[in-house]
Amino acid sequence: MLTAILPLAQGEFEFVTARLMQGCALLRYQLRFVENGELQTIDLIETIRFPGAPELANLPPARALAAHRALALLHVLAGTSYYKALVPPSIVTTSPLSPALADLATSVYTDGLAEFAYQNKLKLAPKFEAGAALATAPALGLSARAMVALGGGKDSLVSVEALKRAGTPACAVWIGRSELIAATAKASGLPMLNISREIAPELFALNAKGALNGHVPVTAINSAILSLAAILYDYNQVIFSNERSASAATLIHEGAAVNHQWSKSWAFESAFSALIEAEVAQDLAYFSLLRPYSELAVTQKFAQTDCYDALFSSCNRNFRILADKPTSRWCGQCPKCHFVFLALAPFVAKPRLLKIFGRNLLDDIELAPEFAALMEWNGAQKPFECVGEALESRAAFFQLSERADWREDALVQHFSKHIAAHIEKPDLAQLLAPDPIALARLPSLMQLALG
Amino acid sequence: MVVSALTGVTDKLKHLSELVDHSEAAETTVQSIADKHFELLSDLTYDAHLPDCKIALEAHFAKLKAHLTQRPDPADSALFAWQAELLCFGELLSSTLGAHYLRALGAPIQWLDARQHLVASASANDSVWAQFLSASCQTQADKALQQRLAQQGLAFITQGFIASNALGQTVLLGRGGSDTSAGYFGAQLNAAEVQIWTDVPGMFSANPRRVPSARLLQRLDFDEAQEIAATGAKVLHPRCLIPLREWEIPLRIKDTDRPELSGTLIGPISLASPPSVKAISIRSGITLVSMESLGMWQQVGFLADVFGFFKAHGLSIDLIGSSETNVTVSLDPSENLLSADVLQRLCEDLAQVCKVKVIAPCSALTLVGRGIRSLLHRLSQVCAEVGAGRVHLLTQSSNDLNLTFVIDDDRADALLPAVHQCLIAERLLPLDEPDVLGPSWAQMHHAANELMVPALPPAWWKAARTQLLALAQSGPSYVCALPIVAERARGLIAMSAVDEWFYAIKANAGVPILAVLLEAGFGLECVSLPEIEHVQRAFPDLPAERILFSPNFAPRIEYQAAINKGVQLTLDSTFALKRWPEIMRGQSIQLRLDLGFGGGHHAKVNTGGERSKFGLALMDLQEFTALARALDVQIIGLHAHLGSGISDIEHWPRVYTELASIAERLPSVRTLNLGGGLAVPHSDCEPPLDLAALNQRLLSLRSHYPHLRVRMEPGRYPVAESTVLLCRVTQVKSKGKGRYIGVDTGMNSLIRPALYDAYHDIVNLSALNQPAIDAPCTIVGPICETGDVLGLQRKLPECLEGDVMLIAEAGAYGAVMASRYNLREPAKEIFLDESLLDTLEHKEKTC
Repeated sequence: MLTAILPLAQGEFEFVTARLMQGCALLRYQLRFVENGELQTIDLIETIRFPGAPELANLPPARALAAHRALALLHVLAGTSYYKALVPPSIVTTSPLSPALADLATSVYTDGLAEFAYQNKLKLAPKFEAGAALATAPALGLSARAMVALGGGKDSLVSVEALKRAGTPACAVWIGRSELIAATAKASGLPMLNISREIAPELFALNAKGALNGHVPVTAINSAILSLAAILYDYNQVIFSNERSASAATLIHEGAAVNHQWSKSWAFESAFSALIEAEVAQDLAYFSLLRPYSELAVTQKFAQTDCYDALFSSCNRNFRILADKPTSRWCGQCPKCHFVFLALAPFVAKPRLLKIFGRNLLDDIELAPEFAALMEWNGAQKPFECVGEALESRAAFFQLSERADWREDALVQHFSKHIAAHIEKPDLAQLLAPDPIALARLPSLMQLALG
Repeated sequence: MVVSALTGVTDKLKHLSELVDHSEAAETTVQSIADKHFELLSDLTYDAHLPDCKIALEAHFAKLKAHLTQRPDPADSALFAWQAELLCFGELLSSTLGAHYLRALGAPIQWLDARQHLVASASANDSVWAQFLSASCQTQADKALQQRLAQQGLAFITQGFIASNALGQTVLLGRGGSDTSAGYFGAQLNAAEVQIWTDVPGMFSANPRRVPSARLLQRLDFDEAQEIAATGAKVLHPRCLIPLREWEIPLRIKDTDRPELSGTLIGPISLASPPSVKAISIRSGITLVSMESLGMWQQVGFLADVFGFFKAHGLSIDLIGSSETNVTVSLDPSENLLSADVLQRLCEDLAQVCKVKVIAPCSALTLVGRGIRSLLHRLSQVCAEVGAGRVHLLTQSSNDLNLTFVIDDDRADALLPAVHQCLIAERLLPLDEPDVLGPSWAQMHHAANELMVPALPPAWWKAARTQLLALAQSGPSYVCALPIVAERARGLIAMSAVDEWFYAIKANAGVPILAVLLEAGFGLECVSLPEIEHVQRAFPDLPAERILFSPNFAPRIEYQAAINKGVQLTLDSTFALKRWPEIMRGQSIQLRLDLGFGGGHHAKVNTGGERSKFGLALMDLQEFTALARALDVQIIGLHAHLGSGISDIEHWPRVYTELASIAERLPSVRTLNLGGGLAVPHSDCEPPLDLAALNQRLLSLRSHYPHLRVRMEPGRYPVAESTVLLCRVTQVKSKGKGRYIGVDTGMNSLIRPALYDAYHDIVNLSALNQPAIDAPCTIVGPICETGDVLGLQRKLPECLEGDVMLIAEAGAYGAVMASRYNLREPAKEIFLDESLLDTLEHKEKTC
């Protein structure tokens, strides 16, 4: 078992090569370590397929170069999945990274893996060798259209509807096989692109032998995949749907912030978009359309369209298999289910909400501790999941406690009796208002469409 | 002959009525309706073109287009008349097409305009909307109409759904459409029988798409049929029965694709039938509004005020339950409730006079059957099944036709097949009335598609009768036909979606049976150390990894011993990790989870949910994984076994989906064990479990998780049918109306009937082909215990002392559970292999 030798005292993680041919990115990595006195070398190849993508040789030289740089960026970020298996002390790159990329890599491998490190009681200090800066990327004259990343949940669907209102030509993109996302993509009516990603199979073998496991900054990896796709398919915008609360730390551990959704935060977005603009393509915009908004404001926007009700799911547990029953789309047990239910409740007719979830999570007293955690009530810790801020949960509960159709439900009653008097009532209007600075950063057409 | 519109046409016409202006979209829609009819015309008459029919259809389309240009202002009440006139085109077109086609075939059929014969009766209370779009007609026999038609000809084709009012304007009959028209015509013409030809063979004891073992109901009375139709069955609209019931005109439902089937005949009450449950139905998406107040107690008009609010918000109430301080009502699902804030406003109004709580989403599960109150004492298993989760409301009306449970919506899907299975196992369906209860949906489906034998093959023991009679002379015996075990095992192994099979030896640990299953490729699942030792004594060369040890509350020493032996180990709580770290450190284990739901034919075999002692609760999973990590314990497999006797094939895909989604977070997991519980069909009622369909469902799910292996571990399935218990009649006695047949062994050999109310077929092997006598009897053993009953209320031929009685499907949980209670030795075990069975069969044929 590997567990006997973890954490590794010596060993290396190497970025070997990254190739792109026939619409297929092959990312090669190597883990080297000593086990029972013998040097072990494990080759890992991840494959990412871009269906129907043009050959690099057929692209204008400037775009081909941009594609190479996007590929190099992807190679570095996707390495987190393999690096974390053994966390070797040394990281080897075939050539030194640009200072900007080395900086970004360092944050992705520390902040992006902070939750993993916390769960595994590790201290991470990855070092990437930095070399000379790269020549500034030119503008490529990319077409004015957007790739919007779909996740099957409510957020990306709010973006999709906003793009449709803005009249921006857009393509719904998702990564990996998911019937659920495919179904929401189809319902969106947008053109669709499904990129597949095959994790190196050796990783499963390593895991079975006891390699380390935990959360990887998957949005960072997906951002790099979509940026490469934008260059290949000729799009000038890559749009994600991360909102304001994604920037908040889930907890502070030994003075350092641990944010479960760090790669969805403004810190990552600003660093990543700056790097894309400087080193990949000047006219490729990477941004999150929902950054100005709280989760609560996003759910309020989501409530305006009901065409996804029977399809979407934000539940973390059931995302691979498309199920026609709501109780198979929403597990009802994870913090995501709890939060989305609570956040939608003030904004949609109760029977509609219950139909979406197939049950009433706020009438189950056994879930009291889970909802208390969402409100960070009584010293409870906000769970390691992409859920809104405590103030938003509190505001939603205050709303429901004033509603005749909700206030007798077990958890709303519990809130009114035991919690409401001890906390301040948040200003709902303020929570729903967009952050003016983040709003101003969005293209003006989008600002209007988000209305 | 009354016809409805072609499929989808009425919806398209509705769409046209909603288009604001006569636009391009309207033209496209009209064209698509036209295409549909002309395509059907050319399909029907590829060698003759029926130019007259084309002209007639085109004339209708010209009228339709002209009508579209005359749309009144939306605010004008003439809009409803215009809509009715528009919507009637679907039936005018289909009946025109039908008339020409049938005439071309030589049928002397005449086209009738229904509007000239069916006249709506105006009611002062009807809104303008209802007058035009949901009208009713009189139901008396109409002598004038009868004479008019008799003079006009022999056969007629006319339109369903449409009628006229006193002014001669077109009106619609609303929901129920063509069936309702047929009902009216039937009543007015005083028909001998009305037939509805549709796409299903009739009404079933449950929705057959959910419950393949649902039985065709060949005969129903009007009230029962109406109740079934009103509580969820889609085949018939309850409204069409009203005129027929009044004049006692029978209604028959027939399947267009299979005219040879008898279908369902609905007629007046037959007094001869004893009370029984006829069907179970489910309506989903129900909202309960519970109103609590001391104010209602003896206060005149309180309920009237409360119900006034519902009326004011346009909500119609369905079920009602009340006590002195609470009244709870149900609302059916409606668009109105989903999109607007109606419920919120209703609650605000109600909150002024009482405390109001919304309970949703719910489903109403209804048992329908005349005289259901007299069956209450036999509903304990149904109640146990339904009561395993929350029941929010119970209603039962004085007409004694139904019993409704309102439950959480998310339980409905699994509960429907489970309760239906109870109805069969408890013989609450009229299983002894073959003229009422027809074949199951699955049997008919298989027969229609020639997929599988429609009924079960004759049991093996029928062919071996003479030899079994001889074997029985040496005293009570379990006789097992090993080739049957091998056959069942082959059926399972053939399922490509399952990589590994383990046989739960607790079902029957007989060494010859284990040998057959090992040979077939099964591993063996043991639940105690003595079971492991038994297996290793019998098969000393068996590799340890083919043994899976899944104990429950076993002592520490058994875990230690199992680990020393190197067999696979299953844990189902955190206890071993917490208390015995020195034993568990570094082990690889399977983890048995309780997914919070269970299934099966009896509460005592249901092994899921919080009232069951098995499995780790999901809420404890995080703690378990943390403990495991600390001890370097690898969770290499997840396991859930949630009950037995499960006939709903959706159960295992559900378990798979749940386990796979949990395995997403546990990357060390390589195997998912979906448990067993595969139902063994009762010989006379249920179709065999559709293993091929189950395999397909699992294969489609597996493609999502290619790295996970699938394992199953049946116990009862491979062995139950292989074995019969033979015994002999000792005494016969009558006591009042009761008739008892005593046999020479009872619960000391076979305790399943006493323990689980299990049903075993029982035959008098000595008098196998003799007719049963009318009075049912109870078969009992010789043990001094009231519960020593092997079969209740069975119909058997006359039984004499010494007759050999055969108790079927006794291969599982029979001999292994036997005892020496009353110091009576239990039945001995006899195993017949291929050659022995062959000789038996051969001899049978020669004698």
